[in-house]
Amino acid sequence: MAITEARPVARPEPFGRRLLSWLTTTDHKRIGILYIINSLAFFVIAGIFALLMRTELARPGQQLLSPRAYDQVFTEHGTLMIFLFIFPMLAAFGNYLVPLQIGALDMAFPRINALSFWLLPVGGLTVLSGFLVKGGAGASGWTAFAPLSVQGGAGMDLWILGIVIVGVSSILGAINFIVTILRMRAPGMTMFRMPIFCWGVLTTSLLVALAAPVLTAAMVMLFADRHLGTVFFDASRGGSPLLYQNTFWFFGHPEVYILILTAWAIVSEILPVFSGKPLFGYRGVVLAFLMIATLSFTVWAHHMFVTGAVELPFFSATTEMISIPTGVLFFNWLATLWKGKLRFEPPMMFALGFIGLFLVGGIDGVWQAAPAMDFALHDTYWVVAHIHYVLFGGTVFGIMAGLFFWFPKITGRYLSRKLGIWQFWVQFVGFNLTFFPMHILGLRGMPRRVADYAANRGWTGLNTLETVGAYIIAISMVLFFVNVFVSLRKPREAPDDAWGTSNSLEWATSSPPPPHNFDRLPEVHSLRPVRDLRLAAQGLAGEEGSS
Amino acid sequence: MAVAGACLAGCTQQPATEQAQETHRLFYITLALATLVFVGVEGALLWAIVRYRRRRADEDEGPQWHGTNRMILLFFLIGTVIVATLYPFGEITLARVEQNPQSPEVIDITGSQWQWSAFYENEGVVVSGKSFVRPLVMEVPVDEPIHIHIVSNDVMHEFFVPAFYFMRNAMPGHPNDFTWTPNRLGTFQGQCAEYCGLGHYQMRFVVRVVTPTDFMAWVKQERKAALSINCPQTSGASVHITAHNISWDTNCIHVPAGTQIALTITNDDGGIDHNFAIWNGIDTAHQFFASGKFPGVATRTETIPTLQPGRYYFQCNVHGPAMSGVFIVGNPPSGQKGS
Repeated sequence: MAITEARPVARPEPFGRRLLSWLTTTDHKRIGILYIINSLAFFVIAGIFALLMRTELARPGQQLLSPRAYDQVFTEHGTLMIFLFIFPMLAAFGNYLVPLQIGALDMAFPRINALSFWLLPVGGLTVLSGFLVKGGAGASGWTAFAPLSVQGGAGMDLWILGIVIVGVSSILGAINFIVTILRMRAPGMTMFRMPIFCWGVLTTSLLVALAAPVLTAAMVMLFADRHLGTVFFDASRGGSPLLYQNTFWFFGHPEVYILILTAWAIVSEILPVFSGKPLFGYRGVVLAFLMIATLSFTVWAHHMFVTGAVELPFFSATTEMISIPTGVLFFNWLATLWKGKLRFEPPMMFALGFIGLFLVGGIDGVWQAAPAMDFALHDTYWVVAHIHYVLFGGTVFGIMAGLFFWFPKITGRYLSRKLGIWQFWVQFVGFNLTFFPMHILGLRGMPRRVADYAANRGWTGLNTLETVGAYIIAISMVLFFVNVFVSLRKPREAPDDAWGTSNSLEWATSSPPPPHNFDRLPEVHSLRPVRDLRLAAQGLAGEEGSS
Repeated sequence: MAVAGACLAGCTQQPATEQAQETHRLFYITLALATLVFVGVEGALLWAIVRYRRRRADEDEGPQWHGTNRMILLFFLIGTVIVATLYPFGEITLARVEQNPQSPEVIDITGSQWQWSAFYENEGVVVSGKSFVRPLVMEVPVDEPIHIHIVSNDVMHEFFVPAFYFMRNAMPGHPNDFTWTPNRLGTFQGQCAEYCGLGHYQMRFVVRVVTPTDFMAWVKQERKAALSINCPQTSGASVHITAHNISWDTNCIHVPAGTQIALTITNDDGGIDHNFAIWNGIDTAHQFFASGKFPGVATRTETIPTLQPGRYYFQCNVHGPAMSGVFIVGNPPSGQKGS
């Protein structure tokens, strides 16, 4: 069309209007950034809770927190980390990247997307507002087992309400991702030409859509038992506390994969870029994702071995089976590195750290998969070690890899390489100091969720060591935030393809991308359209057909 | 990491029951396989990091391998073999740990916020801890299967003795049964492992594994202690009893015979139900009186009907032996039960 439009002269908009535009935005990229900011804010709060706990546990006896305060703090640490940091942080990557990676203009339902974001701070603050009411915040652990959770004051109700709100947010988000990925792919972008990250988001979204409503059901029953006189979980009047656990873990175990699958996908995206190779066994990785997602609905009762009320051999078998496709992921990652040309930029270092640490979390879980061993380790610090090797050594290292990797795309600026490498090593050392000794404490019989312990049990030295480790982790996080603030003040210098060896479509547009994502959408003939463009520019042929 | 792994191997406790020995063995079988996987994968990772780092000025890509179906199949097979090797060991151990042989020694364990009590069915002895004050101390004879029947009065608890390599939930309305066969003399610390609220961290107990002779002596002593509980008779026909932290403020009430008693119950435990009931004895075969159940914080007054002189047993029916004591009417000779 022969319409020439005068480009508006760039003039800084007044602050009020800029703020309003962020508050009302439906642009998936801006929503993605809001997700990141919101998630990191809750990460800081939940991290401070962790430091409070570690400080209290450094020595036996009460120093900092009363048992009442400790119970609230450990409950909110788990709740915020799981529901308001890890899950929304992974959704943040999804929001920012999925439309770019599949060559779409935006998410399928931009306004629902905005709604699912804004529900998050509302839900999170609802949970936290429990600290302001009489009796304090919910203090039944992040799992809120009935009948304990039927006791407790208004803080518990706020906790339930907050979780329901966050649950609605995640269900809306999941549906949006599923529709976007299935219906909005650019021409030529077949399912098997889709970046592995999108497969991760798709699989996660299917899990969320199927599992999160079950959590909401558990919350509704819990609320009804507390206030409406129902007896779902009251054994003395015909209910059963096992109903709560079965319902909660039917959500809770897929949830564990919801919290790690996207991180696997991030790592699977980063390794090829810094190895100069394609992802080894792309279809095998997709198959592994789908198998794990399916199996994750059959393993929930391995959280309930010690109730004596579940079929042990069955759930033990399904639990061990899920390690088979997980093992395939490790083999594919190693094969991707094999004979590659490895470049140790910070995203790559975090991705490699992820593989090394998540492996430990995969292996120490095998002990608990055998019910007889689980009878000795369940509800001890061994489990705390296991979950943190998976969700911190795994997911948080994966998230850091992703943040360093896509920061230049999102902001047009690189995070400092030097600070990033420092952060990696400090975080790696602090993490292992904090969480490895927990295995030994578990073997020595220290139960989790205790506000204090006796001095004569031989647990003191390791606890002190863990507290030192926790503060080292805190230092690494300070390095990260300093890095972000320093880097944001630098001029924009990142080119479209910020790392020079990228593969997927988000690297074909400017850094940061324009509001409409692509000025011109490249043709998609393979799994790695940006590599094809690079080769074409050198006069070489790219890959034809799907990988 | 190697140091850490070695430490892990050396950090297990010495098992103190036959079942724990089985589990202890399984731990090491799993450790052997886990070490193999750990060294294999981390070794390959470190090798790749050292061997395949990009040399300066090398702008070429690596080999463009996409991975064949055969390789993927192989990857699936490796995991399958490892799992298929490990699973039977776990199942064999489980079958041994889960055996419930006939046992002359049956102990009913009751968990409540935040204490444990143990009722020895055949000996007729009850021992109990007291929230925030003292742990339950129980004795069991060595080399005998001990059958434990466990239940909770309120929320989920978990009966855990680290040296026995075993924990099991105490659940309301869903009793569990299991067997320990302690084979090592000694004193073993235990505590609740399922988070159960404010006093969870203090919900401790002690198991003393003793010789059968010492066990019989202990049973005798506990019986005698229960019968010798005595206290001065109240002057009037009224009694005031207070429940605080799931404990009564007394374990002995002595009232005059031949009169109704005005009973005042104060429940200090916010949101938690208590009542006051009088039974023939700890076997709770016959109930003589039960007040209404009500949540704290509140105070209620009820009337206990006239009872025959004798020694009775009282408890809160919600919390059982954990909140119990002796109810004496008149001046019966020591040891005589109410009828």
